[in-house]
Amino acid sequence: MQELTKFQKRLKFENKVASGLITLGGYGVIVSVLLIFFFLVSETLPLFWKTSLEKDFEISGKTPISIGMDDYKELVYQVYENGIISYYNIKQKKNVKYDTLSLSAGEKIISSSSTLEKDEIAFCTDSGRIINAAVLLTPEYSGNSRSIVPKLVNYEDFYGKESGKSLENLAFDKNENGNKFWVWTSEKKNVFIKIFDLEEDLNYTHKLTELTGGTKITASAINAETEVLFLSDENGEIFYFDISNYESPELKSHWKASNNEITAISFLIGGNAVVLGSKKGEVEIWFQIRNENDDVVFTKTQVFENHNSEITKIVPSQRNRTFLTVDKSGELHLNYSTTSATNVKFDNEKKGIKLVDFSPTADVIIVADDNSKIGFFNLQNEHPEVTVNSLFGKIWYEGYSKPEFVWQSTGGSDAFESKMSLIPLIFGTLKGTLYAMLFSIPIAIFGAIYVSQFAPKNLAVIIKPIIEIMAALPSVVIGFLAGLFFSPLFEKNLLLIVLLSVAAPILFVVIISLWGLIPEDKRRKFSNTWELTFVFIAMVLVFMIFWGISEPLETLFFDGNVKNWLYSNFNIGYDQRNSLVVGIALGFAVIPIIFTITEDALTNVPKSLTSASLALGASKWQTVQRVVLPAASGGIFAAIILGLGRAIGETMIVLMATGNTPILDLSLFNGFRAMSATIAVEIPEAPVGGSLYRVLFLTALLLLIFTFIVNSLATYIGDKLRKKYARY
Amino acid sequence: MKINVQNSISASFTTDLSKEKIILETKNVDLCYVPQVRTLTNVSIQIPEKKVTAFIGPSGCGKSTLLRCFNRMNDLIPGISIKGLITIDGIDIYSPETKLEELRKKVGMVFQKSNPFPMGIWENVAFGPKVNGIREKAELDEMVESALIQADLWKEVKDRLNNSALDLSGGQQQRLCIARALANKPEIILMDEPASALDPISTNKIEETIDELRENYTIIIVTHNMQQAARVSDYTAFMMIGEMIEFNATSKLFTNPEKKLTEDYITGRFG
Ligand SMILES: Nc1ncnc2c1ncn2[C@@H]1O[C@H](COP(=O)(O)OP(=O)(O)O)[C@@H](O)[C@H]1O
Ligand SMILES: [Mg+2]
Repeated sequence: MQELTKFQKRLKFENKVASGLITLGGYGVIVSVLLIFFFLVSETLPLFWKTSLEKDFEISGKTPISIGMDDYKELVYQVYENGIISYYNIKQKKNVKYDTLSLSAGEKIISSSSTLEKDEIAFCTDSGRIINAAVLLTPEYSGNSRSIVPKLVNYEDFYGKESGKSLENLAFDKNENGNKFWVWTSEKKNVFIKIFDLEEDLNYTHKLTELTGGTKITASAINAETEVLFLSDENGEIFYFDISNYESPELKSHWKASNNEITAISFLIGGNAVVLGSKKGEVEIWFQIRNENDDVVFTKTQVFENHNSEITKIVPSQRNRTFLTVDKSGELHLNYSTTSATNVKFDNEKKGIKLVDFSPTADVIIVADDNSKIGFFNLQNEHPEVTVNSLFGKIWYEGYSKPEFVWQSTGGSDAFESKMSLIPLIFGTLKGTLYAMLFSIPIAIFGAIYVSQFAPKNLAVIIKPIIEIMAALPSVVIGFLAGLFFSPLFEKNLLLIVLLSVAAPILFVVIISLWGLIPEDKRRKFSNTWELTFVFIAMVLVFMIFWGISEPLETLFFDGNVKNWLYSNFNIGYDQRNSLVVGIALGFAVIPIIFTITEDALTNVPKSLTSASLALGASKWQTVQRVVLPAASGGIFAAIILGLGRAIGETMIVLMATGNTPILDLSLFNGFRAMSATIAVEIPEAPVGGSLYRVLFLTALLLLIFTFIVNSLATYIGDKLRKKYARY
Repeated sequence: MKINVQNSISASFTTDLSKEKIILETKNVDLCYVPQVRTLTNVSIQIPEKKVTAFIGPSGCGKSTLLRCFNRMNDLIPGISIKGLITIDGIDIYSPETKLEELRKKVGMVFQKSNPFPMGIWENVAFGPKVNGIREKAELDEMVESALIQADLWKEVKDRLNNSALDLSGGQQQRLCIARALANKPEIILMDEPASALDPISTNKIEETIDELRENYTIIIVTHNMQQAARVSDYTAFMMIGEMIEFNATSKLFTNPEKKLTEDYITGRFG
């Protein structure tokens, strides 16, 4: 008795431990999947955080002409109209140093213009003089402490052509060779340009009034990188000058860009896109595209939220395609060019805005208001280039002739406009999956039907493990073979491959029917191995025949080269690593899954049902068609969907066997770029926390959701079919 | 007509079939599932037309095996070998000229465990005609109705022909299987212990159905229930260890068997 209870106790204990462990395991799986999901979501969410602008601190003082700060946000400089430059230390909350620009008595600075990087500023005085200078804020290190050392560097100064008169519309820029460009107007209509060629040490000054026809000029902007000058007049006309020939600037074209007066112009980073602001508060981006006549013309591509008041300033960021627009009423908009989005609207508590600028790192916006206060606002704007629309919609990128879905995440420089539309990647994944399924479903399902219903036992015993081994083949091996062996082979023997894929099944059916012509009792005498040998020999024969005729055929009908023929007649390009190769390679990865599950489902159809069918006079094939397949449909469906899930998630094969070209084209003969492959290729290059990094996480999340949906669908529909047909 | 058959364990037995027309006949049938192991030994029997013939005998003696020879359901078993002659209407059913599908249309079968397809009732009954090439809906409807009426199921299911056959009770499912076999308009119906998995009431119903069918069909029924054999059959064959021990009119076999073995079996001394 004693022993029995002991034993029972142990049994109870073991039961508890076992069920505890199993429960733990089950929950563990669920929890870890959820954790992955939440991790992906948490990495993705910052993409969609709203842009915010928050006041950090403010200082008081007269409104400066120009203002700026260092990279570390320690020192602020302000240039006043009397030429005094004060340096304000943010930590110490006081001015730490002063400099002065040498002005003559009573001379006042009235405006300024600088390069995008702010490494040189041109000031314009009321006596018609232009003074160039640089305010350098250099960090210096002593031990562990860093201090920012301010320094004023004076460059040339000169009087505008008609001295004594005040100048307007000053625009200054400097190119990478150190050549400088100034543009200004006097009496609002006489336009001058001065170019300083550093290498030759030559100055050129030209009057452009003849070219503009003497209309009232309202704004100007120079883009030194591409040597373009934009002028606008009161009628909304834009004058586009090519200033690359320093001896004679050329008016390339002029056109009416707006029905209203254009009041502000600015080039964005990269120098291709120009922002125009009008008297009525319109804000638009224009850039050069190639039109249908193959001419390069400036075209309006993006329109931003209207200000309802005259645009007074446009300030581009030197980091990305963000730019600020300010209107006469003192409202400030923060816009992002790629997405056509106005992310922040800010009225500065109705205190008006006299001057705005970005910090060099573009995460602080400096606003000088009408009440002699200068506010410093922290800008939270990590991922302006990513919006739902930019991920899934068509975007008009610089240099493109129309809005498009484009994936091109990284470029050479900061000025690169990253293009992160997920559509080409989703398309690529679906395209690869489509071709893989087209290839694998018939093979796997017919194979499973053959093995489970028709093949002799001894053969089934061989085939099944072989196909299961196929499943264990590392996909990198399949990808490697497809990319480096089969792609060139296919390219060389394109016609043969196409012929075989069309003709082989037909011939196979013919062969089988021929086999069926042999009377059954004679057929019986052959063992099943014979049957197979017969099929095998027939297939080899078919292959040889096609191999033999493909070359003469190519010469005869396709001008000797199918690829060229396709291209010249149908405009179908052929890439070596194309969807045909990937479809087959991916199919190889998918076949074992579909085959195994389908085979199981077919084998599990009770014999009593097939017997019933056969006993009613149904042929073997009728039985398969009418009884076995419907009864196994749930399992077959699940098999297909699971295969689909595998194809969607498969990475190595699509990575290695496609050209990874993110194009939207269903053609069998070019490649694609799948979501999975993109993640694999680009995540090592993506700066942690950057937009690309997060978009790749979003891609991963989408993949997870895709496969989740697909698998749930498999379970759900599979269950339904099973309930309907598999109640035996 | 009187025949004498020489058997190994038994001496000859005599069967009086003089009044009957013979539809199915086996001559010296030997069957091995496994080489050298005979499951049927030298079986010769004549089945009269439009009569109910019962096969009885201890479990494993080969009744089902013999039954399955009549519609060649054994063919698919790998390694099987069948020797001897089996004719239906005088034609050798194992000859190369015999079309398997046609044979099975002519010789219907009802299995021990009811096996309706996981489809609607109508679909189940129409299955045979459909695979045999009948496409006309009206024609099929008529065949389905007539088969269901003959199987005594029509009244119960006529309002729910599209419901799943699997929702029927066990007895109804078996009668559906009978209807399904009848829809093919067979000459012979093989029944392998059709009621063995059913409750007494359902069994009774099946027996009634068989009773109604006897006028138009030749029925061969395997049963291990001797009362059932006595109740439904006109002729009874007693088998043992793969051999045909005695075949006679049911009334004679159960009251006055020729063989000691038969008598021992029907009186329950073994089996
Ligand atoms: N498919 C088969 N393969 C091998 N042996 C079988 C097969 N079917 C039946 N047998 C054997 O043949 C013998 C007769 O079986 P069966 O005809 O089912 O007997 P019964 O129906 O009289 O009970 C049994 O010993 C059984 O084990
Ligand atoms: Mg049996």
